[in-house]
Amino acid sequence: MSTRLDPVTLEVVRSAFPAIANEMAADLQRTSYNMMIYEVRDFCTAVVKPNGELVSQNVGGVSHFVADLGVVIEDGMEKIGADGFQPGDVIITNHQRVAGQHLNNIVIYTPFFFEGELIFFSMVRAHWIDVGGMSTGFGGGPDVADPWMEGLQFDQLKIYEAGERNETLYKLIHDNIRFPESSLGDMRSQIAACRLATRRLEELFEKFGPGVIHAALDRIFDETERKCRNVVTGIADGVYEAEAFLTDDGIEIGEPIRIHAKVTVAGSGMTIDLSGCADARRAAINSRTLAGARVAYKALTAPTEPVNEGSFRAVDVVIPEGNIMMAVYPAPMCMWSIIVPTVVDTVIRAVAPGMKDTIPAAHYGLLGGPVVFTGIHPKTGKRFIVQSIEGGGWGGRPHENGESATVSVCQGDVRNATIEGIELKCPVIIEERTLRTDSGGAGRYRGGLGMQTTVEVLVDGTWICEPPKRGEICPAWGLWEGKPGKVGEFLYRTPGEEEFSLADTPRNLLPKNSQLIVRTGGGGGWGNPLEREAVLVADDVKEGYVSAGAARDDYGVVIDDATQEVDRPATEELRSKRRAAARTAAE
Amino acid sequence: MTLLAVDIGGTFTDLMAFDEVSEGFYQAKSLTTPHDLAQGILDCIHKSGLEIGGAGDVIHGTTQAINTLIERKGAKTALLVTKGTRDVYTIGRGNRPESYNLLFHRHRPLVPRSLTFEVEERILAGGDVRDQMDPAQLDPICDRLKSLDIEAVAVCFLHAYANPLHEQLAGEVLAQRLPDIYVSLSHEILREYREFERTSTTVVNAYIGPRMSGYVQGLEQRLHDIGFKGDLSIMQSNGGVMAPDVAVKKPVNMMESGPVGGIIASAEVGGALGYDDVISFDMGGTTAKASLIRDRQATTAEGYYVGGYASGDPVMAPVVDVVEVGAGGGSIAWIDDVGALKVGPQSSGADPGPICYAGGGREPTITDANVILGRVGASDFLGGEMPLDLEGAIAGTKEKVAGPLGMDVYEAAQAIVRIAITKMSLAVREVSVEKGYDPRDFAMFASGGAGPLHAVAIARELHIPTVIIPRFPAHFSALGMLMADERQDFIQTCLAGLEQVDFSVLERIHDEMVEQAKAELKLGDNMEFQVKLDLRYVGQEFTLSVPVSLDLIKAGDVEAIRKAYDELHELRYAHHAADEPVEVVNLRLVATGRRPALALPRIGADGSGMEPKRRQVYLDDPTAPVACPVHERTALGPGFEFEGPALVQEYASTTVMFAGDRCRVAETGELIVSVGLDA
Repeated sequence: MSTRLDPVTLEVVRSAFPAIANEMAADLQRTSYNMMIYEVRDFCTAVVKPNGELVSQNVGGVSHFVADLGVVIEDGMEKIGADGFQPGDVIITNHQRVAGQHLNNIVIYTPFFFEGELIFFSMVRAHWIDVGGMSTGFGGGPDVADPWMEGLQFDQLKIYEAGERNETLYKLIHDNIRFPESSLGDMRSQIAACRLATRRLEELFEKFGPGVIHAALDRIFDETERKCRNVVTGIADGVYEAEAFLTDDGIEIGEPIRIHAKVTVAGSGMTIDLSGCADARRAAINSRTLAGARVAYKALTAPTEPVNEGSFRAVDVVIPEGNIMMAVYPAPMCMWSIIVPTVVDTVIRAVAPGMKDTIPAAHYGLLGGPVVFTGIHPKTGKRFIVQSIEGGGWGGRPHENGESATVSVCQGDVRNATIEGIELKCPVIIEERTLRTDSGGAGRYRGGLGMQTTVEVLVDGTWICEPPKRGEICPAWGLWEGKPGKVGEFLYRTPGEEEFSLADTPRNLLPKNSQLIVRTGGGGGWGNPLEREAVLVADDVKEGYVSAGAARDDYGVVIDDATQEVDRPATEELRSKRRAAARTAAE
Repeated sequence: MTLLAVDIGGTFTDLMAFDEVSEGFYQAKSLTTPHDLAQGILDCIHKSGLEIGGAGDVIHGTTQAINTLIERKGAKTALLVTKGTRDVYTIGRGNRPESYNLLFHRHRPLVPRSLTFEVEERILAGGDVRDQMDPAQLDPICDRLKSLDIEAVAVCFLHAYANPLHEQLAGEVLAQRLPDIYVSLSHEILREYREFERTSTTVVNAYIGPRMSGYVQGLEQRLHDIGFKGDLSIMQSNGGVMAPDVAVKKPVNMMESGPVGGIIASAEVGGALGYDDVISFDMGGTTAKASLIRDRQATTAEGYYVGGYASGDPVMAPVVDVVEVGAGGGSIAWIDDVGALKVGPQSSGADPGPICYAGGGREPTITDANVILGRVGASDFLGGEMPLDLEGAIAGTKEKVAGPLGMDVYEAAQAIVRIAITKMSLAVREVSVEKGYDPRDFAMFASGGAGPLHAVAIARELHIPTVIIPRFPAHFSALGMLMADERQDFIQTCLAGLEQVDFSVLERIHDEMVEQAKAELKLGDNMEFQVKLDLRYVGQEFTLSVPVSLDLIKAGDVEAIRKAYDELHELRYAHHAADEPVEVVNLRLVATGRRPALALPRIGADGSGMEPKRRQVYLDDPTAPVACPVHERTALGPGFEFEGPALVQEYASTTVMFAGDRCRVAETGELIVSVGLDA
């Protein structure tokens, strides 16, 4: 079938679909009830074909949602059947058998019909603040043993059928989650976003008809694929490998979790093989997702282009069943995404020798530093929850320093909660939000700094932190002789205690007036720190990003105490000594 | 009395004046003089031949405030913050809107960490003082600021929007110890929670403060020196003007004064013609801008990001809501790496310009495409003063676009124009459809040199029934400034449940705002106040500003207020939640000093169209040109009617109409085009 496609129609269709997905996202974000959506933007909006092909997805949200939408639709088509959908249906699903994420990630989708034919689904996956069980806040911890303990499971259920709400299902949800106003408000927003897409799709189909639109989409997917292939062609053929570790999974303490990426480049094609990663764990840090590989591929090929099915056609992802990222139901998954940023970084690290001019050193490879505290507000008698994600340092780049205190590669447009906003709503005081001197890895281009957030809680409550970590065995690595960044940690002190102690359990009951500290790590350095311009090191000392001691120890730069300027002769001497020592060590 | 507006842009300084006695407009244009902008203004006044002594008002808009920020040419600025928050300004919100970009940049702070000083003090969310501030601790800081030759200081303490006591104390100490330094206190700029955004706004104000306040005061003086006895007013981002003494304190409000003029003019001229709901569409050399006006009022946003959302500086000052896309006359058409035709956002700018300007440009642009299609007359440009290189445009478009795509050059030119129209239609959609408004209920005003060329085609895309081409479309912005009211916006965060809120507190806040407005507005006799409540469902973060009357607040009419909110939520997002509790976040007051409406003069009664010339123009069909009538605008008298296809040429612009369109010339000279939607 050939439908004549002129360049103008192609451009109209090309700009229409991302506009629909982005408008859905804007709508959802502004009307949602929980900060996971309006600040953390822990959601995605998309239009998907019944065969699972991704027509368009919003930009700017959480990066790791770039995978695993199509599988939900394929599963729904299988369960409900192509004839089982009708206009006005709304389906709710979060089952880990298919898309293995935490149960908080609720998918709502609706069918789009044109002239009686099922054409697309519009869908919104969004993080509910609670789905019962242990799921409150960012989601359950590593100690959640299975999906039943984690929360409610929805397996392709119609919450609306032909426009009629299923009141039994609605009440069941309402009565079994902790913040029904919030989550059911979010559901309303999700449904409204899907309906908005339906209206926009109707306009588009009425204008152009299905033939032209499908032909344009085929062409757009092909072009997107070709753009990605063009980039990969520029990388020398070969097999690239890298590995990294999480200190442990938070349950089996001291047992490192291996992450390994083998990237094969052949012509314009790329295979990302994650078979070398650890097997699924008993701790709930498993997932069933292509996100790690896909986020990395997207970042390497076409980071600022809209996402569609063509974005991933030219990459093969290999993850065997039973792998930590291809866990088999009912493996526990409530911390499903904690390892993903490190997986992304490991894939990127692997191909760094093939893309030396564009790839930065490693960033703080966890999902930022979560600040989560919940209790009962003395004024309202209702449950409150403090939620913020604090950024970590990003790696030094081939031409400049890394950004400081920025969320991970998987988080995108995720904003921290403001101090004033938190204090207006919750009985806590944010005492401090500050950058950590010397936390950025030394390098010719320095790693960005991690940060420290200190909170005093004014009521008894529960502090939730994330013990699986990138500790000293694998901090954010440097590249090309750059040094690693400092690692992050969680500390607390109850009233009367002098010293802060390390927190190593996911849930901590704290009495009022306790203090807690969330520290994020810094990024790795890029290039040899002895080659960093001495005056830039002096500037960093003036600004307090690097201490005078670290300037001497890590960069070989001596700062004159009195003038704060570089002591040139002393620096020359120290640096040549260091270089000589390095040469000797190398020999 | 004469009203006079001067609009300084990057290249030209535009003057537009209206003499209320003779009902005549005056225009003048001179090159902008970047080293001494005030001189450019005086030059322009001189060139216009106006007698400045007889001028009642001078209204002035300038891009200097925003340029000072973008070019990083502001003052050496320091920042004072609450202990523990030294890095809040640098960290921002920690987000990365470009999710997959490994080399993402956040905003670049205007104040380095080494010039950020922590002060021991702490106020809590409700406004209670937890730690009192000992002013003595500011002494060593003042000494240090002095020794570092600091020119401006921003002060932003936590929860100062609720209780400004400590900021006020700090302000007093700074004024006393460092009288020559420009000081901005956050609560004077913005009384809204969210410390990063408030800090950024305050820092921007301080950063541009010394330069802009010096400029405004200098201009006032020099106008006075040449005999001007009236009032100077400064154009603001919110669509109103302010007195010079207010501008000196809040220069951050001048940032977006550029695009505002055309929007005000659309509202005012639209209203005069009986169109209260209009879409303002302006297309210049590099971008096109769309904005929506309802009930003669421009829509405003509560803030924006200078330099873009991803990496820009947040400025939370009310700004006329404009959607801008990279499509202007100079936007370049190109083929991307996989063979798709793209238009913009790169622009050939003024130099070298489009190929047809023969200034060395080699890349085909939207203007070149219009020349090829005959829509812009190659020998009629700027009244024939500047012949265009049609052959060059054809050759360049063949080489860069038509050849690679295997198309005929007319087809290619048509495709370029249509792709540009698609992009611009999206911008118009964004201000209308996406905000819940149906474009079929609006008329569209087309301004800017390239606006009238494309407006009717855009209107067809979006089913907008009427397009209005005002007089002086290329000088519309300066015209709008003549019509701008005086305006100040006030905001106060006062978080409480709508059911629980103490309305007497809201009333008191309102009254204080009114007092402050009366002190700042000079058009006191004609003052109007609009009260708005920023409301949201409990649990939401984003609010909607709901207009309410003072009577509703006095009466504490919860039911009516929440009904208004539910309705607005329904309009904007197509759903609402009548059973969910609502909370008040901010109280806003818009104080407007109304300027008497400008009585638009009737145009000359004669000349109901001499027989138009005709030329071959490609309109709907790129394979078959039509012999299209070309009207000279100056020859079109009031009441004259004609049908498309037609072109209307004037000095700096051309209007394109298609078959099925009808045009009537209004008594005051505007072209009112009824768009032939079924054609």
